[in-house]
Amino acid sequence: MSEKQTLDEIRTRLKEELIENLSLEDVTPEDITNDEIIFDENGLALDSLDAVEIVVFLQRIWGIEIKDMEQSREILVSIDTMANYILENA
Amino acid sequence: MSQSNKTTPRGNRFGFWFFKLFLRGGGLYAAYALLCPVSLHYWLFDRKAINAAISYLKRRFPTDSPLKIRCKVYKLIYSQGKQLIDRVAHTSGVIKFDFHFKGRDILDKIVSSEKGFILLTAHAGNWQLAMTELDMLKKKIFLVILEENNKAVKQAININSDQQNTFGIISPEGHLGGIVPVVRELNNGNAISYMGDRPYGFESVNIDFMNDKARFPYGAFAIAAATKVPIVTVLASKTGFKTYKVDFTNIIKPEYKSRKNKKTQLSEWVQDYADILNNFFEEYPYQCFLFHDVWEQNKS
Repeated sequence: MSEKQTLDEIRTRLKEELIENLSLEDVTPEDITNDEIIFDENGLALDSLDAVEIVVFLQRIWGIEIKDMEQSREILVSIDTMANYILENA
Repeated sequence: MSQSNKTTPRGNRFGFWFFKLFLRGGGLYAAYALLCPVSLHYWLFDRKAINAAISYLKRRFPTDSPLKIRCKVYKLIYSQGKQLIDRVAHTSGVIKFDFHFKGRDILDKIVSSEKGFILLTAHAGNWQLAMTELDMLKKKIFLVILEENNKAVKQAININSDQQNTFGIISPEGHLGGIVPVVRELNNGNAISYMGDRPYGFESVNIDFMNDKARFPYGAFAIAAATKVPIVTVLASKTGFKTYKVDFTNIIKPEYKSRKNKKTQLSEWVQDYADILNNFFEEYPYQCFLFHDVWEQNKS
């Protein structure tokens, strides 16, 4: 990851990656809010099939390896939680 | 998860102790003889097992009369009992079984890869007994099993004894179905073992199984496709009095052709697996220990 990437840039790229990797139809990056709970019915309503893809692309693109389920509960919540973790750790 | 998806372990500590006593005193013949009245008890009174067995047998033997099917239920229960005894005999060291590994060369090639792989088992033959032999792979194997089945599986494959370094447990009831530790261990080059024939209330798809619609889980295939690891199916059949064949030749390599319609693509791989199981049950009709109506849950 480039050192110049800001939190906003990471958020935008994350949204683009989510849409591309999860084939989210009729969804644009602007439709996804930063604090939306991605696995919630009222949010993006993603499921565990999508979770596998997210875990894999976080690792592939940003080199982020989530160590355990405790950490995944904190990171895989919203665009904000993932972006903050990437900013601090990637 | 619905109650109907929970497994019902057969036998108890006293029962297993009694069988061990017979094993030590008279060997397999004595234990199998003791099994006859025990199987009769289950054949008469275990309504849930009987119904599930009938559900399978009437599809396996569609031209058989209800009476004939009822008789075959006994044969199936007795066959499962024999494999339970074999497992107890083997893990307690009373009797040594001979294993013929079919496709060992294929498995060795996969094991030598840096990435991990998925071992897909089912209630077909003696998968737990096969597991006890997999320490030969020199790989850590993580079993993805429900908490409620932990104790039974640990006991069945002797997980608490000398093989504790071979096996680990990952709960699918953890955050996001335990996906994070599963992906981590695959990246570490380890093996993940899934049951491929029971959804346990988790994500599943409709497939054709024995000329009827059934529901099978797709989690293992989704993980294999995302992480690009192969799936090795494990089929352990009892082929003789003290012999087992463990077949590793059926390899599935899930790879999405397109990012759209992933569930359709997953269904195709699950169907491939159901066909593999179907072939196994055609060859070994009395080694299908599903004891769970995978067709009924499709209707609910």
